[in-house]
Parts: sequence; C-alpha cells; structure tokens
Amino acid sequence: MQNFSNEIIDTDLLPKYEEVIFTKLHPKYLFVVAIKVAILIITLITAPFIYLYFEPDGFSGKISFLLGLMSPFVFLFIVLFALLSFRKKGFAFREHDVLYRYGVLATNTIIIPYNRVQHVALHEGFIPGFFGLAEIEIFTAGGSSSDIQIPGIEKEQAENIKQLLMVKIQKQL
Amino acid sequence: MDVSFSAPQRQSPVGVLVLFFYTLQKNARAFWPLIVVYAFKFKELNILYLVTGIVLFLILIGVISYLKYRSFTFFLDAEKDEFIISDGILNKTKTAIQLDKIQQVNINQSFIQKLIGVYELHVDTAGSAKKEGHIKAISHEVALELKSRLLDQSALKISQDLDMNLNLADKEAAATEAPFVTIGLLSLLKLGITSNYGKTIGLIIIFGSTIYENFRKFSETDSAYQEQVNSYVDKGLASQSLVIGFAFVLAGVLVLNIARVIIQYYGYTITRQKNSMLLSYGLFNSKSTILKPEKVQITTIKRNFFQKKLGILELRIRQATSGTAEDRKSIIEIPGCSDLESSSVLQLLYDQIPEKGLSLKPNFRVLAVALLLFILLPVLLFYAIGAWVEPVAFDFAYLVPIYVIFIGLLQYFKFKNNRLFIHDNFIIKQSGGWDISTAIIEPHKIQAVTTSQYFWHKKLDLGSVILHTAGGTISFQMGNFSILKSKVNLWLYRMEKSDSNWM
Repeated sequence: MQNFSNEIIDTDLLPKYEEVIFTKLHPKYLFVVAIKVAILIITLITAPFIYLYFEPDGFSGKISFLLGLMSPFVFLFIVLFALLSFRKKGFAFREHDVLYRYGVLATNTIIIPYNRVQHVALHEGFIPGFFGLAEIEIFTAGGSSSDIQIPGIEKEQAENIKQLLMVKIQKQL
Repeated sequence: MDVSFSAPQRQSPVGVLVLFFYTLQKNARAFWPLIVVYAFKFKELNILYLVTGIVLFLILIGVISYLKYRSFTFFLDAEKDEFIISDGILNKTKTAIQLDKIQQVNINQSFIQKLIGVYELHVDTAGSAKKEGHIKAISHEVALELKSRLLDQSALKISQDLDMNLNLADKEAAATEAPFVTIGLLSLLKLGITSNYGKTIGLIIIFGSTIYENFRKFSETDSAYQEQVNSYVDKGLASQSLVIGFAFVLAGVLVLNIARVIIQYYGYTITRQKNSMLLSYGLFNSKSTILKPEKVQITTIKRNFFQKKLGILELRIRQATSGTAEDRKSIIEIPGCSDLESSSVLQLLYDQIPEKGLSLKPNFRVLAVALLLFILLPVLLFYAIGAWVEPVAFDFAYLVPIYVIFIGLLQYFKFKNNRLFIHDNFIIKQSGGWDISTAIIEPHKIQAVTTSQYFWHKKLDLGSVILHTAGGTISFQMGNFSILKSKVNLWLYRMEKSDSNWM
C-alpha cells in the first residue's frame, strides 16, 4: 500500500472510445451476406408455392393478391436491412481493448479490455471460407451476452488477430 | 500415443463409434416425425426401398462421423501455454484456451462411452459454457494425463476453488466464533408476510376466476337446482361465503409463504472467517455456503414498501459463475435482515458501505414507452377484440380503468425509482415499481461494456449502457449519453491500467 496513489483523473483527457475509427468488414463479406439473403428470399418465395402444391385451394384470391403486392416491399426491406447491417459493422483493436460496433436502428458498441478475455476462437464457415474469410469470436467471463463475434475478416488477418490477442492476453498475466 | 500432447492428435480410433452414435442420435431426433409417418404407412411401403434408405442413411452417418473424427484434433502448445482444439468438417473452428484460465477439467463417461470403453473430457473456463473444450472419446490414461497436464498450470486456481468445498474442520473452527448476523424467527415471519405478492395475487386471481366460472356454469345448466338453492341460500349469504372463501385463500397463501420462508431459511446465521463468511440455514436440511468477498460480482438489496416499514430487507449476492447451468446455485440470499445487519455484511464484502455518488435519471421517454407498451397497446387490443372478434369482451370493460390505474401507477413508480448512481468505487442501479431493488457492482468487476444509441436519439443525446460482469449484467436505458460515454471511458481506463482481481 506504500506506493498507492490516488490522483484526480481528468476525464476529458482520457482516450475516448467514441472517437475510435473502426475498420469495416472485408468487402468480400458482402457476397456472403448476399448469399444468405438470397437463400432467405428464395425460401420465402418457394414456401407458399410448396404449400399451394399440396393444398391447391390454400389461399383465396384476395390473399394471393395481397401476398403478391407486399412481397416486393418485404424483400426490398430485407435487402436494405442486410446492406445497412453490413455497412454498420466495424471493429477496432486498441492498445488495451477490442471494440466491435453493430446494429441498424441502434448503434451498439461493445468493448472488451484484453485483460478480461478468457479465450479466442477462429471459425471458418463454409460459405465465408469459400471467399477466404473467417470469423473471430472473443469470450469473456461475462457470459454469451458479452462475447464478440467479428465476421468477414480475411483468413490470414484473422489468424494474425488471434495471435495478437493471445499475446495481449498473456502480457496481462 | 503421444503423451506429451505437443503435436496435434486425434481421439481414440474407437471413438469413431462414439461419434457415430452421437451423430445418429442427433439425426434420429431431427428425423423422428418422418419415422412416425413411415411407421403408420408401414403396409404401403416397399421393404426394399426402406432397407436401402436405412442402409444409405447409416452409411452417410458413418462417413460424417469418420470425417468428424478426422477433423477433430487437440494439442498443448507448450510455448504459449495454450490448449488448442480444432473441430469441424466444413465449418472449421479453432479454439484456444489459456491454460491458467482453466477452472475445471472433468472426466465423464456416458452410457455409450461406457459400452465402447472411452471417456470424455470437459475443459471449463469462466466464460460462457457453450463453446468450451469438449473431447468426446479418449482412453482413460490419456484423459488422466491430459487432465493433470492441463491443471498443472492452473494448480493455484484449483486449490483456491477447493477451499470452497467445506470440510468438517472448517465448520468446527467456525462454530467457535460467534455469528455476527443471526436472522430470527420474527424477521422470517415479516418476510413471509411481505414477499411474493405478485405470485400470491396471481394465485388468488386464478383461484377466484375458476370458482366464479364453475359457479356460473353450474347455475346456467341447472336452473331448477339453482332455484332450490336460492330458496335455501339468499343472496347475502352467498356473497358472504364468497368473501369468506377469498379470505381463506389469502390466509392459505400467506401461511404457505411463511412456511416456505421458514423451512428454507430457519436459523440463518452468518459467521466471519479469515477472509470469508460462512452462511448456514435451513430447517430440515441445513445448508452451509462459503462466501468469498473477492468472488462477489453483484449484490442486490431488495425491499418493498411494507418491508421498509417493518425494517427488513433481502440481500442477494451473485458470485462468479461458470456456465449458465450453475446460475441458480451461485445466487446467495440473505433474507429478512435489518439495515444494521445488511450494512455489516456490505462492510465485510466491500470494506466500506457503498456510496451512491453521481445520480443519473432516465429520460421521460422511458415512461412514455412503458405506458405505450403496457397501457395503450393492451387497451387498444382489448377494444379491437371486442369490436371485431368477440363482443363478449365488453362485459369486462369495467376492468379497463382498474387495469389502467394499477399498471399506470406501477409504471410511474418504476420510472421514478429508475436511477443509476456512479461513484468512484461503486456503480449502483436502482429499479422496480413495488419491490425496489438496488444492484451494486464495483467497476473493476466489469468484464465488458456495451453502449447503445438509437439513431433518432442522437440529437437528444440519449443512450444506454450495459455493464457485463461474471455474475450478470446491469443496464441503464435512455440516460444522458455524454455523461455515460465519459464514465465508460473512465471505467475502461481504470480496468485497463491495472490487473485488478475480478475473481
């Protein structure tokens, strides 16, 4: 306790997380998003037809008309949402913590200091792997709500990030 | 077999069988509706097709489990002190676990594993439970060897955890010291009367409505009998008996509540030990738990209006958890303690009485949103149902003003009590309409911070913050975002500057 000091901290001079410049996800990840959206839309389109195949009188004319009228708007909405969600995602590695930003309606920023990281996982999904992309998942002791999953990073870079994180974690010990 | 684990290695070759059965089990579960359909149409089936189908299915599962076996490797990186597991056929995952972050290593054997003669090994860290190390099929020697190698590094931690498991000597030592908090029967009685109102009211409503419903059906179907009854029992007596019945239900629930509290918490004492507290309680099966101040993540003080008048409160202490399954176990409740007793517990946990410091209020929009969601929407829905679906609903229209007043008051108090207090050493969140709870955390126990802002709140400078700890989260919605952001920066600075011990 001898070398304990407790000086006043000028909060204005502290590094500001809100001014950090975020790295966007790799542009190739847009292909992955596009494929996922395409799969979703194709399922949404084929589902009523499959239903009609088994039950030819399943829909009245009115419902078919409404469905036909609304579906372009719904699909447009899905595409826009996916696009915005891609554009809003970003990550940053500072000296002492990692930041991840996401969300369309609300901008969420999650910050994990390196000295709270428990372990790191690298996922290579099938579709992203096809485009040479990987996902980094960072775990803390705070449960699943406080874990970060950063998709759309080039495999090599992801491996580097993982190494960097492991080194950072070790330094803290 | 390489016992040094320095190079990536696979599970026991016979482990393919275990993987086969697990994959089969998983897929059979997914396909069971199909199987049911086939079972019913058995006569119409072409046996040849069925057999080929089943054989193909089994071969496919076999191939998948072989590929799974091939792609699953694990090894110890001695240089970096990491345990690395690679997994996945198409979706590849590589998990790296720092050896000194390992909390527990468990060796288990399920029925299938017992048949085949292999063991599974679970590596547990303090993180979320879902994606931790799980090796499904290795031989006993390898499992034991790996366990000891994994625990070599974290031996220190484990020995700490072992203290948690009480032994007799500890208990005897504790018995010599006088307990500093003793919760008497009177406090438990007070708690039994004043807690769990929501449940009690719910039970009464359910009970009352079923009785009413039965009574109405009864009188509708058998009018002759009703006349007879009416001749015996006049209306005044009927309503009187209803009131008596109601009182009985109320008394019954209260007695049950009191009994539950007393059975669970009878003879609650807290004794101070070296650096921890020993809690023991229970009427029939007495339990004891050790509480270590450094493991405490969130302390919640809960009390309602009546409890305040009676001078009691409830303390809930959440310790660091590993995995969701143990969440319930790790909550420690200290029921019905007085202000003085709670202060002495807090003093022991935090070395000082938590101070409130800077107080932040949420924006009035929080109240507006709550009123919209819990009053306007349900009332509109009620009238919509009445107008278009079921006109009978209007028979209950007299309930609407009661609902509006009741829920309105509750939401108003909820909003009024909603506060975030920020002090240098403590962050305190106060919330609740009737039961007011005050959750206390220390800034260095934070694991991660999330801030959140809707784009239409940017100009208003409103935003939310969620603080994640190893014992749960604390969140505060729609507060002054500039202040919250500067506080987040301060907390991050404090957390990152020193390696404070959060557990």
